[in-house]
Amino acid sequence: MQGKSQFVAVASIAAELSDVMDVAKEISLAAANAKAIAFRAGEKAKGFQPITDFINELAKETIGLVDAINEQAIQLYQLAVNEYKMTAASNTFDQVNRLAMNAAYASSLDSPLERVGQNKLECRKQFQNHVEHLLEQLGDVMHPARAARVIAANSRIEASQAGEYLQSLQAVAESVDNAASVIHGNVQRCRSALSIISFSD
Amino acid sequence: MKMTKIYEGSHQWLMFGRDENKPNDIIDTNQYLVRTASRCLLIDPGGVELFAPMLAAVLHYAPVEEITDLFASHQDPDIISSLGLWDQALPNAKLHASGLWEGFIRHFGCESIEYVPIQDNGGVITLDNTELQVIPAHYLHSSANFNIYDPKAKILMSGDIGAALEEPGAPIFVDKFEDHVDKMRFFHQRWMPSNKAKRAWIDRVRDLDIDILAPQHGRMFKGDDVNRFLDWFDALQVGIAE
Ligand SMILES: [Fe+2]
Ligand SMILES: [Fe+2]
Repeated sequence: MQGKSQFVAVASIAAELSDVMDVAKEISLAAANAKAIAFRAGEKAKGFQPITDFINELAKETIGLVDAINEQAIQLYQLAVNEYKMTAASNTFDQVNRLAMNAAYASSLDSPLERVGQNKLECRKQFQNHVEHLLEQLGDVMHPARAARVIAANSRIEASQAGEYLQSLQAVAESVDNAASVIHGNVQRCRSALSIISFSD
Repeated sequence: MKMTKIYEGSHQWLMFGRDENKPNDIIDTNQYLVRTASRCLLIDPGGVELFAPMLAAVLHYAPVEEITDLFASHQDPDIISSLGLWDQALPNAKLHASGLWEGFIRHFGCESIEYVPIQDNGGVITLDNTELQVIPAHYLHSSANFNIYDPKAKILMSGDIGAALEEPGAPIFVDKFEDHVDKMRFFHQRWMPSNKAKRAWIDRVRDLDIDILAPQHGRMFKGDDVNRFLDWFDALQVGIAE
């Protein structure tokens, strides 16, 4: 595994996730706005009200998921550090082994060598498992984002019946749609960054 | 890595250094090993670059499991940045180093090795029947800094005190003290911050019976050169940066 690209990938995931968080908060704000407008619009925006609730739910769900993923990403960073350290240590121990070839006590190195080799494999396995787990979680974030886009499309139809509120409700639908597509893009980038490191060796 | 035996009695002192394969841009260091019947203390084990040649060199004289103790005179990378690798090699060992530096030295990696904090007034490290004294040498140059004195072997491992910047492959003992002074002056004036601390150390060390003064860089001082060094250092103004 290339140490450097691994750290860069993990750091860029953290950055993407923090963007997703900001956007999810925007959606939740947009939902609150929409709710207020829909309330004022009364009968004319009746179909819009449950939609705003639903959008708010999706935003909350996204925030919750991203929170959990953030925690996982911090752990992934720690695992990447461990893996990097153990790989470096293992290489150094191989070097000691070569240098100590003729030493009287060379054989006393056997058990540390084996232990370090085992640790390296263990760290690598943990890292890989964690990447796979994170990939799954990222897949879950895609669901609310996708649903939000469908709902945004529905909102537009509902908004068209809202008379003088048409424009403001349409703006809400638009911003939800934009936000959902930003999240979709960010999460997609996270996933491809992760899949690169998960298959390199 | 070259090895020189500097004491042979009920226990041994080995000096490692002058590694020919060392990259040119890192400072050359002396590592010391005290070997008793069943245990070894590695004094100022060195930088991370040195770990492989150092451990390989030690394996000529002792098995890994008998390296039970490490000592770091202070926190510098040339002293102890190899710690993370020793931590992998010696999971049951102890590291003796200043308690003040613990949170810093742990950055080098110290998960399985036990960190034994040394109090400001020093202490004792016991290896089988050998007792080594940990002598305070604060501010020379590090703010929390120790030497190791072996009353039986009459060796004072003085850390950066007495250090000289030498050509690669320099002899291991000072032969002409007057010629050696030029290689030490800048190092001591620039790195040692306090005349007061220097005074306290000289007073303390004058009371010790020393055959060999063994610094972490450059050559060791033997016999009369030990006192010559103390006199020279006594007269030197330190804490000077141009
Ligand atoms: Fe130093
Ligand atoms: Fe040093």
